[in-house]
Amino acid sequence: MERKERQKTKLIINQPYDESLEVNDSEEVDSEYTPTPRRTASGKKNRQPDSMANNSSDEYEEDTKKKKGVVGQLGGSDHEEDEEEEEEDDEDDDDSDETESDEEEGEPGSAPEGAYDPADYEHLPVSAEIKELFQYITRYTPQNVELDYKLKPFIPDFIPAVGDIDAFLKVPRPDQKSDHLGLLILDEPCTKQSDPTVLTLWLSENSKQHNVTEVKVKSVEDPEKNPKAIENWIESISELHRSKPPATVHYSRQMPDIDTLMQEWPPEFEELLGKVSLPTADINCDLAEYIDIICGVLDVPVYKSRIQSLHVLFTLYSEFKNSQHFKVLAEGQKSYSQPGAHSATAEADTLTLD
Amino acid sequence: QILSRVKPAVVCDGHLDAGENKNKNKAKKIPRLEDYLSQRDYLGALTLLEFQREEHADLWIGYCAFHLGDHKRAMEEYKEMTLKPDCPLEVWVYFGCSLFFLGLYKEAEEAALKGLMLLIVNVALSFYLLQFNDEKKLMGFHQNLEDITEDQLSLASIHYMRSHYQEAIDIYKRILLQNREFLALNVYVALCYYKLDYYDVSQEVLAVYLQSIPDSTIALNLKACNHFRLYNGKAAEAELKNLIDISSTSFEFAKELIRHNLVVFRGGEGALQVLPPLIDVISEARLNLVIYYLRQDDVQEAFSLIKDLEPTTPQEYILKGVVNAALGQEIGSRELLKFAQQLFQLVGGSASECDTIPGRQCMASCFFLLKQFEDVLIYLNSVKSYFYNDDTFNFNYAQAKAALGNYKEAEEVFLIIQSEKIRNDYVYKSWLTRCYIMNKKARLAWELYLKMETSSESFRLLQLIANDCYKMGQFYYAAKAFDALERLDPCPEYWEGKRGACVGIFQLILAGREPRETLKEVLPMLRSTGNPQVEYIIRILKKWAKDNRVTL
Repeated sequence: MERKERQKTKLIINQPYDESLEVNDSEEVDSEYTPTPRRTASGKKNRQPDSMANNSSDEYEEDTKKKKGVVGQLGGSDHEEDEEEEEEDDEDDDDSDETESDEEEGEPGSAPEGAYDPADYEHLPVSAEIKELFQYITRYTPQNVELDYKLKPFIPDFIPAVGDIDAFLKVPRPDQKSDHLGLLILDEPCTKQSDPTVLTLWLSENSKQHNVTEVKVKSVEDPEKNPKAIENWIESISELHRSKPPATVHYSRQMPDIDTLMQEWPPEFEELLGKVSLPTADINCDLAEYIDIICGVLDVPVYKSRIQSLHVLFTLYSEFKNSQHFKVLAEGQKSYSQPGAHSATAEADTLTLD
Repeated sequence: QILSRVKPAVVCDGHLDAGENKNKNKAKKIPRLEDYLSQRDYLGALTLLEFQREEHADLWIGYCAFHLGDHKRAMEEYKEMTLKPDCPLEVWVYFGCSLFFLGLYKEAEEAALKGLMLLIVNVALSFYLLQFNDEKKLMGFHQNLEDITEDQLSLASIHYMRSHYQEAIDIYKRILLQNREFLALNVYVALCYYKLDYYDVSQEVLAVYLQSIPDSTIALNLKACNHFRLYNGKAAEAELKNLIDISSTSFEFAKELIRHNLVVFRGGEGALQVLPPLIDVISEARLNLVIYYLRQDDVQEAFSLIKDLEPTTPQEYILKGVVNAALGQEIGSRELLKFAQQLFQLVGGSASECDTIPGRQCMASCFFLLKQFEDVLIYLNSVKSYFYNDDTFNFNYAQAKAALGNYKEAEEVFLIIQSEKIRNDYVYKSWLTRCYIMNKKARLAWELYLKMETSSESFRLLQLIANDCYKMGQFYYAAKAFDALERLDPCPEYWEGKRGACVGIFQLILAGREPRETLKEVLPMLRSTGNPQVEYIIRILKKWAKDNRVTL
């Protein structure tokens, strides 16, 4: 430890000289403790010329707190001191060879530390013959084998993408109202977007425009990996069905079977129809009475409320309309009960059942 | 006026009424467009608009498609409108905007020009110019920009795109001071801090926004990226998973970004499937694919991906340098290595990167290629604490140490390296061999040689051992190496080396530094050469052995 202290002191004393003098690398190599090349390198960079006054480690810590990527200053001497210390710590119990070997740095071409030196063996008490033999050792000069270096490049980490910042190149609302996008809230769609298919079905259901729908059929990729998509679909479709009016109606009073109602009229009635047509909506009475008349003619009972009767009436109508048999039949006699039914369908849009 | 300049006094209730709409559904009312817009449910809005097919819906459809991020659809919608005879001028500008977001800058400029001197033209043009780095023209346009909040924000975004993050932060913060309710600006500031590597500061600022808009895609993705930098890929992936879970299945916005980042967070898993189609869609995709190839040691593939890339960001410069350095060494191209060295110098010497870890790595790489190892060590030492047990770092570090003759430390560092690939590299083996010999551990060097298959490399290693051992006076292994060399290639030089080494062993024995028994191994080595000197030497050795009662 004492030695370390000494070294430090020495460093500080040496500092100004080294800073102010432009020293040649190779000449200075032999100086003690502080190989010059490093200092020159730091001088070249003009980084913190008086870095000894600076406490580099403090600064460094502060930096890392804020910013992970930023590293300590590159003060040549700071760093050198660090390194000396490090080496000390690493090999505390080593002998003084340690520092000497350090001095070799920067001069790889010269004889390395511990190289063979024939002078070391001159004292050996040997015969002249053997001494002569020893000359074979120096007669061969070992070659300097140049080794290749290989820079293993520092491959960066993968880079996540954060997207571009809002450039405020925006299409405004067509009605010139402010949408505050990009200011109060980021200009991005919200994560919960309506499913176009579901919404289209829903809209057509609620607006009764069944004919419009040219519904896009979508498919789910990798269904086994995407249970969420399927669940969502089932959920939204069943939601849709729940919102529809029920397909069957339970009448509060007994109503005749549709098939019964579709039975032929008695022949004399049929005959009469050939001469007289059914009363049209132009008949001089109000709607309620007209409903009673038509229902009466068609054998549909009318109780307190006409709504259920009307439902039966229109069910009957749609049965006839969809029946292939009667369609062909109707082709022949166009006038067949058409007008009355027409005015009634207009009401169908607003039909609601309790 | 194109952009609304009204400073709103109240925070719009935006996403808050998501539940409300459901209730409306149940009440079976036909929803209004406004409901969808205020929730930024643009898919819903588009569906409604298409369903209703009202007049002038096309402008709204364009608006919705644009903000949904479906710029292609917006572009098509606007394009169709421009073909109509009474097309309003601003539609040309919107057309230009959508072209811009599709990356069609040239077309964007032309379209926007038709929209005359509207403000947005200026912005669109300056972005276009930015792409071509026409500084002078760009600055001229900036002077046309008036000092209006939106323009300031545009300017800030230009700073951001040019990597001038501090300037961008200054603008955003100034506007935020006057308009506390502009919450989105916090995200922009957070993005800037992220780019400046201040990840925890970014995280703090971001939290302000996420507090009120917890399901923001952009913000959650940024949060994941911060986690990636601060912690690891797992933490980041968890954040992204959260975002995926809360998104509806019809949500397409930023889908590519999320797919891209999942690859990043999973350490490149699925890179070959996901990244290639994203090249030129997400600027990082190409870089990440290059990184992926580098990690797979497919340098050629990495090179062909990056060779035509004109670098603009530090990351691009670094990667280009890395690829050139890797390929340059692989195929021995001076030209590529020189280019790599220049790229490294550019990044490492830049004001923004000189104090970052990658910047220091660049400087170290630059000096490594220049073989200025004192400088290499300065830079590597400054970041050493971040790379404990990092094989790449240690390999370069140990070579630099060894190059400067600090063989003790070099040996230690070489031995820390785990990677089999590096350990089998001849550069590794030869330098470790030299370290062993210089540290007087010639036996370990010899064992290293014995483990090698016979090849030109093992022959070179033998030469290294022979000569370095000789130099260091470790004559026993020098003799063995020269003997082996001579058997492989009987040239006089190896004989001279073996002769000297054998005599050297004898000298060591006389000095008491080598056991006398070793002499027994010397004789057969000498005898394997048919040279008249052999007998002369053996005679002296035998005489000495007899005098000193050493049995041979």
